[in-house]
Amino acid sequence: MSGGGGGIARGRLAEERKAWRKNHPHGFVAKPETAPDGSVNLMVWQCTIPGKPGTDWEGGYFPLTLHFSEDYPSKPPKCKFPPNFFHPNVYPSGTVCLSILNEDSGWRPAITVKQILVGIQDLLDQPNPADPAQTDGYHLFIQEPTEYKRRVRQQAKQYPPIV
Amino acid sequence: MNIAHVRNRPSSANSSVSFAKRPTQDQYKKEETIEEFEPLFDYSRVQPLSIVSIDDDGSDSEHVLKLSPKRRKTKYDSVECLPEKSCEVAKVIECDEKEEDWLLPPPVIPKAAQKPEQEDSTIKELRLKKQELASFAQSAEDVLRAVEESAKRERNSSVTASESEAGKPQPSKVHGDRVKIVISIQDKDELKQYRIYMDEKFERLFKMYAEKVKREMQSLVFCFDGDKVSPTATPGGLGMEDDDIIEVHVKSS
Repeated sequence: MSGGGGGIARGRLAEERKAWRKNHPHGFVAKPETAPDGSVNLMVWQCTIPGKPGTDWEGGYFPLTLHFSEDYPSKPPKCKFPPNFFHPNVYPSGTVCLSILNEDSGWRPAITVKQILVGIQDLLDQPNPADPAQTDGYHLFIQEPTEYKRRVRQQAKQYPPIV
Repeated sequence: MNIAHVRNRPSSANSSVSFAKRPTQDQYKKEETIEEFEPLFDYSRVQPLSIVSIDDDGSDSEHVLKLSPKRRKTKYDSVECLPEKSCEVAKVIECDEKEEDWLLPPPVIPKAAQKPEQEDSTIKELRLKKQELASFAQSAEDVLRAVEESAKRERNSSVTASESEAGKPQPSKVHGDRVKIVISIQDKDELKQYRIYMDEKFERLFKMYAEKVKREMQSLVFCFDGDKVSPTATPGGLGMEDDDIIEVHVKSS
């Protein structure tokens, strides 16, 4: 993953990070992984997505990891919540299923990290029933809205803000 | 470069101790330029002594008479270095041409004018003292200015400033002038920029911010890159850069 030919990917990611440091939406975090020895790995980003205010997701600060390949930005990063994250469009592995993150449909190299994270925040409260990725979340969302809401609120409490 | 070439000439190394006005940065530049061009344009061969002896600054010329070897070197270093050679050359020109009128006056007039005054040694001493003090004040101002500039620029310029003022108490201020950084504090609604020293604790800024938004500081959480920022931390300690964002969250409890 950290081959020598990643000049384009790393250059772009350095720019993304620079832009992020100067300007990003409130409550979001996005930073390249730092090894214990202090070295930075631009290819893996540790992010936080805040639940949108006014929704059942409010109050939750959900950890998301972005895995970039050497083919970025031709190909999108893989975006992962923790395993078994509760959401109709999140695979049991935690991988997010979203059109703009799909190389064959919505992804464009011009999409920024900020747009990805905001897009995923939108997805949280607006699941896409046409594209289910887990049974649990999908079934509750379709069949038991009340239980679904309860589970979402419960999960938000599970990821409190840092205090 | 300055350091090097001052040291090359032992006699001029002392000159910074003299009470002559501290050479400004411009003068250093001049000096450098002359140094660099000297091998290419050796004016000592074509020009008579006059350059050496012309000193249009009347009030200082008495000074010059006494301290000339030291003082002049700081100003006209390269020219002054070649008195013997230029004397020979000058003679030749003098003989051939009738330009005594522009050669003679400079050395003669100032000397004649100053001589009588020298008789009254008390007045002269007082005057020297006064000049001395004035130049001290002047150079102190210069130092402060130089220090401010040098802090903004790179190390080498600060070396120049402190080097030229060796022996003065001022240089300690070099370390007192700290680097500032502009950071943004962002809450849910807006982002505002603040200036803070790189090595200053966030405490003052946080307090100021809390007062501004009319909240207890304890009810606010400040985060940088998702990590809580302690009031005792500093921008430098967190590796912050200009325009980095500190986010404010209001504790819900």
